[in-house]
Amino acid sequence: MEITWIRAALTLLVGFGLMMSLAAGMSLVERKLSAFIQERHGPNRVGPFGLLQPMADLIKFVFKEEYVPNSVNPLIYKLAPAIAAVPAMMTFAAIPFGFLDGQPLVIANINIGVLYVLAVGSLGIYGIILGGWSSNNKYSLLGGLRASAQMVSYEISLVLSLVAVIAVSGSLNMSEVVAAQDHHWNVFLQPVACLIFLVTMFAETNRHPFDFAECEPELVGGFHTEYAGMRFALFFLGEYIAMVVMSGLMAALFFGGCDVPFLDIADTPWWLGALAMLGKTAFFLLLFVWVRWTLPRFRYDQLMWLGWRVLLPLSLANLAITGLVLALLGPEGGHA
Amino acid sequence: MRKSYSLSLAQRLYLPAVAKGLAVTLRYIFRPRFTRQYPEEPIPKTVATRGQPRLRLNEEKAPACVSCGMCEYACPAFAITIDGGETDRMIEREPKRFEIDMLRCILCGFCEEACPKEAIFMSQELEMAGYTREEHVLGLDRLLRPNEEFEQRRQFLEGNHQRWQQDDNAEAARSGNKDHHYSPTGSSR
Ligand code: SF4
Ligand code: SF4
Repeated sequence: MEITWIRAALTLLVGFGLMMSLAAGMSLVERKLSAFIQERHGPNRVGPFGLLQPMADLIKFVFKEEYVPNSVNPLIYKLAPAIAAVPAMMTFAAIPFGFLDGQPLVIANINIGVLYVLAVGSLGIYGIILGGWSSNNKYSLLGGLRASAQMVSYEISLVLSLVAVIAVSGSLNMSEVVAAQDHHWNVFLQPVACLIFLVTMFAETNRHPFDFAECEPELVGGFHTEYAGMRFALFFLGEYIAMVVMSGLMAALFFGGCDVPFLDIADTPWWLGALAMLGKTAFFLLLFVWVRWTLPRFRYDQLMWLGWRVLLPLSLANLAITGLVLALLGPEGGHA
Repeated sequence: MRKSYSLSLAQRLYLPAVAKGLAVTLRYIFRPRFTRQYPEEPIPKTVATRGQPRLRLNEEKAPACVSCGMCEYACPAFAITIDGGETDRMIEREPKRFEIDMLRCILCGFCEEACPKEAIFMSQELEMAGYTREEHVLGLDRLLRPNEEFEQRRQFLEGNHQRWQQDDNAEAARSGNKDHHYSPTGSSR
């Protein structure tokens, strides 16, 4: 009993630290990679290679004036950034990082982990809507509304693509889904679901090419136009953490999580497994940035068209076919 | 307006285009950086660089300027202030006070062209940062530079002048204007 408590506390501390440093690191990686893609240097003045830039940014944000515009709804205005950031942080708890002594390395080993991540993760959108609405600014409001419409449309395809994965793996527990992928990753069993998840994950995190909530040219920043200082930083922290979580989900649900190719999960040392999981997550984090600085933004109607006319039927068809195949293979289908 | 295209399936899928775009940006990540890291990597300068005007010291390490005031007169920005005085040297006159207000100077180079004594040159010094207005008004102490620094610039200017003169003579011959004289600023044209 004693040991498990210590272990839970340690996982929590390490997990939280990992999440925060990943999110902070992303703010640097985003700027660095965008610079490299544009043949620039990126931030390179603070510390070696600009590695301390997130620290400098943080200090700047903290010491900025907490300005509240006159016409906003003060309570909701102040609450919204927290509502955006906290659910994103909470979802990280269910991302498994491997197995230690047969026990999953995860902050909260929830038996409905996938559902939990989806349910709590969707709460983050309230922060964006409320932030946009309480700002009392038409552009912010539009940004918030767009974000909500977009998330509702894409959440369906996202969940449907995950249902197919769950059906194949036979569990809602993330660690069990990972364990079921020993030697045969879901990306090979469910390539279409993986593709749908990949596209919807960009929409869910409000990232390019689907960042309609921000949309600088039309909405001058969208929902966070009226925000400054640490509140603004919280919105961004939320976005980056959501990216970390989505990348983690992608790695865990489709790319075998802690599974190292050609090694049994049971035989893999825990640190190697965690490293594999981290590497996969990092790849998708880089993909987020890479895509952002490559693709132009969609038009809003194109986004809706893509969501409802392409991704939704595709994910439904994928689910139906998966179900059919599983039924034909009998109760021992899927990974067995 | 509605145009009718017929797109292939690959084009309508959009994903091949995405992959292609990603490949392009991936290639760019490994390209050499375009940005110059300015303070560490100085701006490249050539003899044609028209930096801040500086005064030349002659071979005897004395100012070559005879304080004739031509540069002061030529300066369109009224950046130059000269107080002349007498000297025992051969040239008889030298500047007692020679100030260029670098906050006024527009780096046009007219002073350099006006000077009959080749005493003022556009140097290759470009940086001018400071905290007060006063420190941008440069006196003799901060303007004078050794002779050698301007040797190349002088040759470059000479070449320029010769070329202009040739052009000018050719034009004069064409138009039959026998009284045409060369002027460095071209004002007599
Ligand atoms: S034109 Fe030349 S010689 Fe005359 S005052 Fe200016 S720098 Fe001195
Ligand atoms: S460069 Fe032009 S503006 Fe500057 S001091 Fe000489 S004549 Fe005046």
